[in-house]
Amino acid sequence: MIELVNVKKVYNAGNPSEFSALNSVNLHIAGNRVTVLKGPSGSGKTTLLSIVGCMSRPSAGRVKLNGREITSLPERFLTDIRRKTFGFIFQQPNLIKGITVLDNVMLPAYPLGEKRSHLKIKAMKGLSELNIANKAASKVEWLSGGEAQRASIVRALINDPHIIIADEPTAHLDTKLSYRFMEIIEKFKSEGKTVIITSHDPLVYESSIVDSVVNLRDGQIEGEQA
Amino acid sequence: MRAWIEKQRYIIDFTISSLLRRKVKNFGLLALYTLIVFILASTMFFTYAIKKEASLILKSAPEIVVQKIVAGRHDLFPVNYIETIKNIRGVAAVESRLWGYYYDSLVSANYTLLTPPSNAGSADSVKSSATTTAVESASGDPQSTDASKPLFELNGAVLEPGTLIIGNGIARLRHIGKGDYMPFLTFDGKVMNLKIAGTLSSQSELVSSDLMLITEDDYRKLFGIDNSHVTDLTVVVNNPSEVAMVASKIKKRLPDARPIIRDEILRTYDSIFNWRGGMMIVIFSAAVLAFVIFAWDKASGLSAGERREIGILKAVGWETSDVIQMKFWEGAMISLAAFFTGVILAYIHVFFTGSIVFEPALKGWSNLYPHFELTPFVNLEQLTTLFFLTVVPYTVATIVPIWKAATIDPDSAMRFTGE
Repeated sequence: MIELVNVKKVYNAGNPSEFSALNSVNLHIAGNRVTVLKGPSGSGKTTLLSIVGCMSRPSAGRVKLNGREITSLPERFLTDIRRKTFGFIFQQPNLIKGITVLDNVMLPAYPLGEKRSHLKIKAMKGLSELNIANKAASKVEWLSGGEAQRASIVRALINDPHIIIADEPTAHLDTKLSYRFMEIIEKFKSEGKTVIITSHDPLVYESSIVDSVVNLRDGQIEGEQA
Repeated sequence: MRAWIEKQRYIIDFTISSLLRRKVKNFGLLALYTLIVFILASTMFFTYAIKKEASLILKSAPEIVVQKIVAGRHDLFPVNYIETIKNIRGVAAVESRLWGYYYDSLVSANYTLLTPPSNAGSADSVKSSATTTAVESASGDPQSTDASKPLFELNGAVLEPGTLIIGNGIARLRHIGKGDYMPFLTFDGKVMNLKIAGTLSSQSELVSSDLMLITEDDYRKLFGIDNSHVTDLTVVVNNPSEVAMVASKIKKRLPDARPIIRDEILRTYDSIFNWRGGMMIVIFSAAVLAFVIFAWDKASGLSAGERREIGILKAVGWETSDVIQMKFWEGAMISLAAFFTGVILAYIHVFFTGSIVFEPALKGWSNLYPHFELTPFVNLEQLTTLFFLTVVPYTVATIVPIWKAATIDPDSAMRFTGE
């Protein structure tokens, strides 16, 4: 499904602060499975995730999505792929303050110009599935940590993506909420979605629903456990 | 097409909610922006309308006014000069005028005294060609005040010896009206009481606010001017293209006379009000500058919150162009709202409240402010210039930093860890 060939990522190239985050990474991520990118802080997990999710481009190497080379695509096409293929769950909920939960959830669908009534029904369905429909009209700053996380999950799903990308999703959640999160991931898997998670939380990478764990250290893959 | 329209609706809705989220900042900016547009538009409306009004008024002024000059100063005009001017070819009529200023120390105001033309002059020929005219005092400068003015209206009042008719400005200032007496000190220190026979119509207040009409006899008694002199003359020329020629002939035959052509008066008015308007703009330029700095800072610098928001929007699938479009709408909404509110407020201020804020600076009278409503004249060219000087730079200034921020990789949102 997703293939990375000799991917390198260098930040601040040519400057004294030049820093190599990924070095010659080769990776194949299978579809309809849950993959965890595991490693200590600074190992390059988030960088790898952002390249996989078309949020940044590699400095060298190629990224293929369903066999199609996407590295050299113009920004517009890349955005289109990102919008339709990936759903992002960030470490922080990254919701926009001052607007309602419902508006936040519908935000990724705005550029697609979907009819408002349809979009609203879809968003409310998503919020109901994660038991926060009663918070739809609330401002996001009134939500608890768990509610905000769930709202961000509904937002990630609003365009019905095939691939869910989650960056350290349990970093700010307590154990109970972390388990609840993994239950949601299991549901995605059962729906046939591909899930890629970065984490160094054992609760995540030791979970039974995880199909493979990729170990990263110093920008390189150390090993892969199935 | 439907999806495109829906998308634009979403972007505009989000822009409005985005503006409302930063209420204090945006309303502060809007208020300041509106104030600047209001000041500039008020000055513009006022100077343009008053110049237009003055030029319409002066249309009925005589083609030439002739004064006598002694040592470079305006002097009394000898009546026996009139025949010399009448004999110049092209002159249709000559009319003498008696007018002057009277300082009222009680209210520290200068009045303009005038004898209605049917009473003025001693030559019969002059009387026969007399028309009703008035003289305006603008700033005490004889050159700018010599214009014959449109006709004042007496409101049915009859002027008789021992009476006078006053402008509304004087009536307001002195709290007097018809039937009251007004004392004057004559040139030789005697007190002369004149009864008020009526007031002048408020329609002509721009030029008659400080005006007093008195009979020729009373005028001569008050100022001690004998029958052989008048204040100045007006000359009517049949052919407009001959005006300059007639003026040069007057100058040639009467070397101590100064003919003033109507066009010169118009130019004087133009420059007076251009100068006043310019002065206002210079005074307020500090405010304009402060706004420019504030707006530039607001428009060109993005707060960390705004940057983060752009990162989130891009990360969830917004294109760079969507983000720029949203911010463009934001800038356009603020500047258009400020522009239209400022212009509408300025219109109300100038044409309905008589420029209450800028009255002293723009009208230029001392203690006698005329109460008048300007006829609304709006110059589209000036309005367009104001639009391009306010709305366009602000909107453009908002786009540049957004473009820079919107083209960064969306993974910045992913790396954001602080809330």
